[in-house]
Order: sequence, then C-alpha cells, then structure tokens
Amino acid sequence: MYFHILEVEFNLFLVYKCALKLSGRTSVSKTISLWGQSLCRQFSLMLVNQPKLSYYLHPLLRWSKPGVHPDYHSARIVDFRWETDQMLSVWLEPVSSWAGFTPGQHLLVTMMHQGRYISRSFSISSSAALFTQQKQIRISCRIQPQGEFTQALAAGIATLPHLSISDAMGDFVLVPQADTAPEESIVMVAAGSGITPLWSILSSIRCWTLPVVLFYCVKNAAQAAFLAELKLLSAKQPLFDLQLIETQQTGRLNLVQQLQDRTNFSVHKAHYYLCGPAVMSRQYSEDLTQQGVAAAAIHTELFGLPVAASEGPVKQALMIQQGKVISVEAAAGVPLLQAAEQQGLSPRFGCRIGVCYQCVCQKKSGQVLNLRTGQISGDGPEQIQLCISAAYSDLQIEL
Amino acid sequence: MRLTEQQLSELASELDQVKAGVMNQLGDKEARYIRRMLLTQRLSAISGRILMVLGFLTPWLWALGVALLALAKILDNMEIGHNVLHGQYDWMNDPVLHSQRFEWDIACDAGSWKRTHNFEHHTYTNIIGKDRDFGYGLLRLSNDFRWRLRNLWQFVTYLVLSTLFQWGVSYHELAGERVFFGKKKPDRINSVSHSDLKKAFFGKGARQLFKDYVFFPLIAGPMWLWVLAGNLLANMIRNLWTSTVIFCGHFTADVHTFTQEQCEGESRGHWYYRQILGSSNFTGPRWFHRLTGHLSCQIEHHLFPDMPALHYLTVAPQVRAIAKKYGIAYNSGSFLRQYATVVARIIRYSFPGGLATRA
Repeated sequence: MYFHILEVEFNLFLVYKCALKLSGRTSVSKTISLWGQSLCRQFSLMLVNQPKLSYYLHPLLRWSKPGVHPDYHSARIVDFRWETDQMLSVWLEPVSSWAGFTPGQHLLVTMMHQGRYISRSFSISSSAALFTQQKQIRISCRIQPQGEFTQALAAGIATLPHLSISDAMGDFVLVPQADTAPEESIVMVAAGSGITPLWSILSSIRCWTLPVVLFYCVKNAAQAAFLAELKLLSAKQPLFDLQLIETQQTGRLNLVQQLQDRTNFSVHKAHYYLCGPAVMSRQYSEDLTQQGVAAAAIHTELFGLPVAASEGPVKQALMIQQGKVISVEAAAGVPLLQAAEQQGLSPRFGCRIGVCYQCVCQKKSGQVLNLRTGQISGDGPEQIQLCISAAYSDLQIEL
Repeated sequence: MRLTEQQLSELASELDQVKAGVMNQLGDKEARYIRRMLLTQRLSAISGRILMVLGFLTPWLWALGVALLALAKILDNMEIGHNVLHGQYDWMNDPVLHSQRFEWDIACDAGSWKRTHNFEHHTYTNIIGKDRDFGYGLLRLSNDFRWRLRNLWQFVTYLVLSTLFQWGVSYHELAGERVFFGKKKPDRINSVSHSDLKKAFFGKGARQLFKDYVFFPLIAGPMWLWVLAGNLLANMIRNLWTSTVIFCGHFTADVHTFTQEQCEGESRGHWYYRQILGSSNFTGPRWFHRLTGHLSCQIEHHLFPDMPALHYLTVAPQVRAIAKKYGIAYNSGSFLRQYATVVARIIRYSFPGGLATRA
C-alpha cells in the first residue's frame, strides 16, 4: 500500500498522466510518458540521491515489515501445509499492488536469510478463484537437500511473517479456447514438483470443453502432491483422465507409446504441456517433434538447476551491453572479465583482484564460481564481481 | 626494506586468516547493524529538516535541526556511504546497500569516488606519484615533493580545503585527468571520457546545490533564510569532520611514503605491509568510532577495505599483535594527539627540507 503511493511520486506523475490522456496520439503520449518518468527520476535523485523515493523511505517502512525487498511486493504468509514429506505449500496474501496472475505462471520469491536477500522462482499452484475470491495465492516448494532457499524457507516458515514476491511471469499458460479446434485435446506431463503449474491450470478450468489427459510421473504415490485433489477431479469430471506413473514400479514413461495406445487420439491434434526437470522436458519434446507435432503445440516449463560441471567444456556467456547481446566463450577457471576482454568487450574494471568493486555487474541467470572463495553461486539473478568470477554453467550477464 | 619475501608471505597469510575469520561469519548481526544505521540516518535527516523550519518557535529548535542534519550527512557519508561503496555490504544483495547502485549525500559522484578512492588510493596507497590522495596535489606533506613557494601558505590552503572538502573530493578526478587545466600525464590511463566526467561532476553538484540551497529554502516559505543558512552550516560541519578524520588517518607524523620502484610487482604481503605503514588509527568511545565510519581504524580499513566496518574494532588487537610480531610500526594514539601531529606535519613541510618519511 505504502509502496503503491510512493511509486506515484507526488503529483508530477498525475500531471503527466492527465497530459497523456488528453494527447491521445501514441507517439506524443509516449514522449510525454518518458519525459514524466525521467522527471520523476531526476526529482528523486535530487532530493534523496536514489532513483526512487521508495528506496529512501524503505528503511522507515521496513520497520513494520522486516525483510521486505524494496523492488518487490510484500506478501503475508497466511498458512502453510506439508503436501508430502518433501513438498511444502505456502499460502500468501499479496499486497493490493500485486497485479495477479494467469494459471501456469511463476514468480520470483525473495526472503531475508542471515541478513541477505535470497531469491528463487516458484510456480503458483493455486487456482485463479482463490485469488479472485480470497486475494490469496499458494506456492508449493520441493525442499532441496542442498538448496539454500528452500532449506531456509522450511526452517523459518513457522515464524516468518512475510515473503517478497515479484510480478507473475512466464508464458506457460493454457492456449485460449478460441485458438483451439473443437476436436483437439490437451496432454499434460508433470514430473515430480512439475505438477505445481499444471495443478494451478487444472483447478482453474471453469468450463470443460476439451478432453485433458495428465501423465503424472512420481517415484511412488507417497511423493505425489495434490494426488487426492487430482483423483477427486478425475472422478467428478469425465473429460479429465489422470494417469499416475510410479516410476519405481513401472519405469520411465514412454510418452509416444502411451499416446499411440489411446483410442480416438491423434498426436497431431493436441496441445502438450510438459513440466519437470530440463532433461525430461527436452526428451519428450524431441520425441513429439519426431512424431511430427508442431513446435507451437508443445509448451514447456523447466524446473531445477541444470547439472553444472566444475571443469571441462567451455561455457557460453551471453553478455548484454546496452541491449546488444554478445556471446563470450568462458573457459573453466578463467575470470569472466578476462574472457570478455579477449572477446573484444571492455567492461568496467579496476583492481582486477576483487578489491575495488568497479566491475560488479548483474548476472541474470547461470552459476558462477568465485575464484577467491571457491564458492559456487546460485542460479538466479544477482550481482557478481566479474574479475573474480568464472563460468560454472552457461550464463547471461548484463554489463 | 627490513622484511624478507618469506616473512611478507607469512604476514599475508596471517592477515588473510584474520580476514577470513570475520568474512566467513557475516550474517544477521552485520545486516541489522547497517540497517539500523540507515534508519538512524533517515530519521535524523527528516527530523533535522523539519526542526529547522520550526526555528521560528525558538532558535534552539533550529540549532537542533542543524545538528541532526549534520549528523545525518556524516552518517550517510562515513558509516554508510563510504563503507557501502567499498562493497562491504554487497553480500546482502540489497539494492539500497549495493556498491554498484549506491549514491550519497555529497557533491562527489559515487562512480568518480570508486575510481579515485577505491581503486587509485586503496591500490597505490602512499606511493608518491601514483596515489594522488597523498596531499591531493595541493599540500606538501613529505620531503618526496620539491618545495614550492605556494607551500608557504599551505596551512591556509588546508583550512580552505577542509571547509569545502566535498567539492575537493568531487573535483579530485577531474584535476587528475587535467580536464580543465594542465597537461595530461602520459602514464595516466583513463577509463572515462572527459565529457562523462564533466557530466557527472556538474550533474551531481547541481543536484546537491539545488536541494540544499533552492528546493528546501523555497518550501520553507518565510523561514527560507534560516533553512538556507542551516543547510550551509550542516554541510560545513560535515566537511570539517570528514576532512579531519581522513587527515588523522593518513597524514599523522609517523605515516610512511613509498616510491614506485619499491612497489613494482610487489607481493600481496608487501601490499599489506605498505597499508599498515601508510595509515594511522585513533582511539575514542564507541559512538565516536561510528561517527568516523570506523575510519578511526584506518589501518584495519586499509588492510581489509571490503570487511564490514563494525568489525575493525574487533580485529584491531589481532592486527596490532601481528604488526608487533613482524616489527612493523603500528601507528595509533588519541584523536587530539594524532590531530596535533597532522597540524605539525602540514606546517613543517610548508618550509623546505624536512625529515624523510620513506619506508
């Protein structure tokens, strides 16, 4: 609420918004909008040396909501429940400035752990109705034995009052009904915690018109989250077919075989939603493409970190400089700064020994190895020192 | 040089251990501390500006307002700004406290500060000809420099510099790059174009001037003159305080200087050795250390510039013991004693000659 007011940054913002409405023409309104934004920024810089007034007032506002990240929306933890012994569901009530979501989307969740902000992305696992009726959403997290975020969340969930959440993101959402032919059907494949966005989609369908089959792959039934709810839905809804694959007993799912065995089913007349570990999603989409399924009909969402190697092949670092993307070959153990310079880039630098912090820049994704400490970073967005970081996986870096 | 390469490498590993002892334990305590500082700074800045306007009730409120605004500016520049810009709190991953995004309430642009202070001064500490912070190109503080006539009145220069310190700091890089005057030095590599330097200098300076001397006086209405004078006074108090703290950390009697030849291809151990000899500490109560941004522990700061500053006091006894073990002078004393030697040093080198301070 407070943040929402602050974003408005006095009446300046309102003035240019009015001008925007009056002008009507897009090119003019765009110019005025940019001009207004830059004016707000300059005003805030002048007054408090911060790009936004909310950054300046954040320490005061944090008094009532400790641990809330200034860039994100705060969300009150309403309740939590263990779905299985490894999966924790958390019910959140976001502040009113949070814009809502489309089932299947994910968001970045940030919490304060030992003084620092750590983030991880999760799919929303609740229905659209829960948000429209009760202003709540649910995220369901598989607790990773080595995961800093999920471990901290599991340990602190009973006492944590808030989490910070980003806007909902991603295009792993159901294709609008208007775009699907009447005889088509939907095939979903979920592996492990990959069920979360799919369960959000399924539980949000209000009017069933197409047959849906869900292949839910788990080690054993005890590890299948939302199984009771899914069974209830399949009993109630004749168009929904639940296929539980317990890989411990039956081995891996042979998707193409299973689909060919189905009566009244054509692989070409279906939309596919695959969600699970990167390896699995890639495998099934390749299989389907070989069967002649159009790429546009295959929707995937990747879960989990790609397996990272400490040595061996050269990694690709995509460096984004003022909007231009340059691919840099980063060998294991070579500082990214050096790799970038060999490629003809000239990022900001200073001491080159990790002291002066001039080369700090934003890593958007991928893991880096800190050459000074030997620590391996997380996979999410964070600031890194280029001169003492080496690629540990493929990377995206904003210079 | 008295220490062998073997001894220097042992010195380096001992100091590295001291550092690791702190850095491996960073967490809630440090985060809480710096956030509390940030809160104190915000509260004193806001209340200070309000109280100044309430000066029409009694001038005492105005005086309290000035003191609070000066306190806010000092905390912003020292314990928060200087330390955050060193990357001491980058591990918190907080956009408000990250070295790459931080900007402070001083005329100097943060980017320029990181180049001249974090890089130039902290890498080449007290190497004559490389570290322009040694005398700021204005004062003769050792006999490494040729005496010039203008050194005769350098104590007055020092007083003027102290009063206008934020502008000195802000102009520092432009002076080094010879943006407006002088011939460019051939060995100086600049990473930023002159036009960008000028843009940052005038942009930041104008914003700061507009805020304190146009915007706040304007919204104060009939109290405009009081607010304008109060802001001027608060800025001046901050200038004198920061300048005094920095001079007491760098230009006391026993601070050593180095030549470029001495430091060519130096080891990590020699870098540490140079940092101990190139800085000086002063003592005082806890609140006093906080007001200096813990730069009262300048030696520890120079050894570990990216260690959260509140730990300098805790590692100081260990550093002192290590310095003693290797027979390196550890320069510490009371604030008044250290300041007296600073004044003496400025006056002594106003005249030709003077003792050699080379290590």
